[in-house]
Amino acid sequence: MFGFNGVTIAIVLFGIGLLGLIIRRDLVIKLLALGLVNSATILCLVSLGAQESGAPPILTPDMRAAIVDPLPQAIVLSAIVINFAILALALVFVMLLVERYHTTDSARIERESDTEEETWN
Amino acid sequence: MELILLPLLRFAFGAISMAGGRWTRAISLLALLCDAALLTRIALLLAGGARLEITLGGWADAVGIAFVGDLIGLPIAALIWGLAVAVALYTWRNELRPYFFVLLHFLIGSAFAMVFTQDLFNAYVILELLTLTSFLLVGYERKPRQIWASLRYLILCSVGMSLFLLGIAVAYYHTGTLNVVRLAAHIAGNPSASWIPLAAALLVGGVAVKAGIFFFSLWLPAAHSRAMPAVSALLSGVVIKMGVVELFRLAEVFPLDLTFTVLGVATGLLGILYAIQTYDLKELLAFHTLSQIGYLLIGFGAESAASRLGALDYAIAHGLFKALLFLAVGQAVACVGSSDVRALKLERCSIPLATRIAIAVGMLGIVGIPPFAGFTAKAVLESGVHSILVRVMVGVISVGTAASFSKLLPLLPARSTATCERPTTAAYAWLGGAIALFLPLSATLVPRSILSATWQWPAYLEAGIAVMLGYGVHRLLRGRSLGLPKRLFRVEEGTVAIVAGVLIVFALLRFV
Repeated sequence: MFGFNGVTIAIVLFGIGLLGLIIRRDLVIKLLALGLVNSATILCLVSLGAQESGAPPILTPDMRAAIVDPLPQAIVLSAIVINFAILALALVFVMLLVERYHTTDSARIERESDTEEETWN
Repeated sequence: MELILLPLLRFAFGAISMAGGRWTRAISLLALLCDAALLTRIALLLAGGARLEITLGGWADAVGIAFVGDLIGLPIAALIWGLAVAVALYTWRNELRPYFFVLLHFLIGSAFAMVFTQDLFNAYVILELLTLTSFLLVGYERKPRQIWASLRYLILCSVGMSLFLLGIAVAYYHTGTLNVVRLAAHIAGNPSASWIPLAAALLVGGVAVKAGIFFFSLWLPAAHSRAMPAVSALLSGVVIKMGVVELFRLAEVFPLDLTFTVLGVATGLLGILYAIQTYDLKELLAFHTLSQIGYLLIGFGAESAASRLGALDYAIAHGLFKALLFLAVGQAVACVGSSDVRALKLERCSIPLATRIAIAVGMLGIVGIPPFAGFTAKAVLESGVHSILVRVMVGVISVGTAASFSKLLPLLPARSTATCERPTTAAYAWLGGAIALFLPLSATLVPRSILSATWQWPAYLEAGIAVMLGYGVHRLLRGRSLGLPKRLFRVEEGTVAIVAGVLIVFALLRFV
């Protein structure tokens, strides 16, 4: 399982993504790192479902026996859509934050939003 | 059929509400009535001994999405409905964009789907849907502080859900099923397989981010305290519970008693300490959500039927009084213009009387004075916990709860000169009534033998002592800071904490 295969690459990418989330302060880069984390998960799922010389799981009349398990691929499709929605919405919120604070630096936004007077309606 | 109709109808109503216009309120009302009818039908079928089960799309249940109506799902679904009614009453006179109602329908629909699903990947999709809808609801008013809090929420939850998906991948690779019942059977057949700790750590760690557990859910205090009151009530009462429900389901698959006890005690104690430290009223409520989730985990980790029922009962009690407190405190804060306890104390005359009564009832509930909700649920839970050390911890958390809520006492007595409008008394009466009448309500869930055993003088004595001690601790600590770090709640620390938490859970499962 720990040869140079998809799962190993996925674990490495997952780690890089987490590291990006932790050490980079720029929000856009943080979101890219989040995208990397999510994609690494998808790569891991697809690699675990893969098998040597397996045919694509498409039903045809002259289908041979060895096809790849279709379920991970179905799962991955949903996961990709969800991750897209998350990234898109997060970027919109980053845009709103930039309008207010004129920076994408998470540490500065954190400081300014903490000191800011809350206005209750 | 009813099980799947319940969420789907909500989604349909949500889609219709997108059109906006004057029918939006009528549609919310219709949705509440439909939910009530379907829930009653499910309850009657279950009481009649029927087995409610549906697998979607005609697939075999190893890969198909199975919905099962059971005794974990139904009480929580009833709680969701009760809180939906409270929020509808509370926001009845507010000017809200149709977009709010669309999100509300989607949120409640996903919650209904969550409580009955037996499929891990289905749970992943629903949890993500809950993340997205609550993310948009937290930022609904577009205040920069809300936007920042909800962005942190989204990032940390997305990391957590990625871990959950990895856990799904590991479990599916080794068992070929995503159904929790089949997974449990598989693991019971081979309980020492080497992949089990890894899968369990990833799944539990991922859900824990959504379930309000300390070191995983560090996004929670900001998101819950900065959202508008109706949204905070739903987040604390419903959305957090969905993570907890999934944890309960996982507890039936993996051997998680020790993990739950450790996480529960840590969450309870740290939540309480932070709650004692803070003087921001909404933040105090948010930290209490953390500490109360600690109770639930302790109850579920104790591995006896009574404590598990107690945990479920407490989940419902907590949903009721926390929602009431968030709604009432939200209105008090809106009237005074500050959420600082000291400012609220100075301006207490401008808080309407009904709001102050609601805060008092919520406090009685959360602190655990008989006959209010917290007392019954806590007594049932404790009756099933046998380890002395854990019982002492539960006691310490009770004392801490009383200590941190003692800060609110000065708000209560005053002559009201309120000029604040917004009559929301109906919502308070609805939730307050449920809290006061919690004993007959929980008699439908908890067997009478357990209930009557908890209504004895030792339990009264314990509740009384906890409140006295709590007040003493409050007097002792007044004006002093505990010096707990606030920077823990940033994105960076949150991510580190999630990774560390998963490693700790893995170590607990693998080596202990």
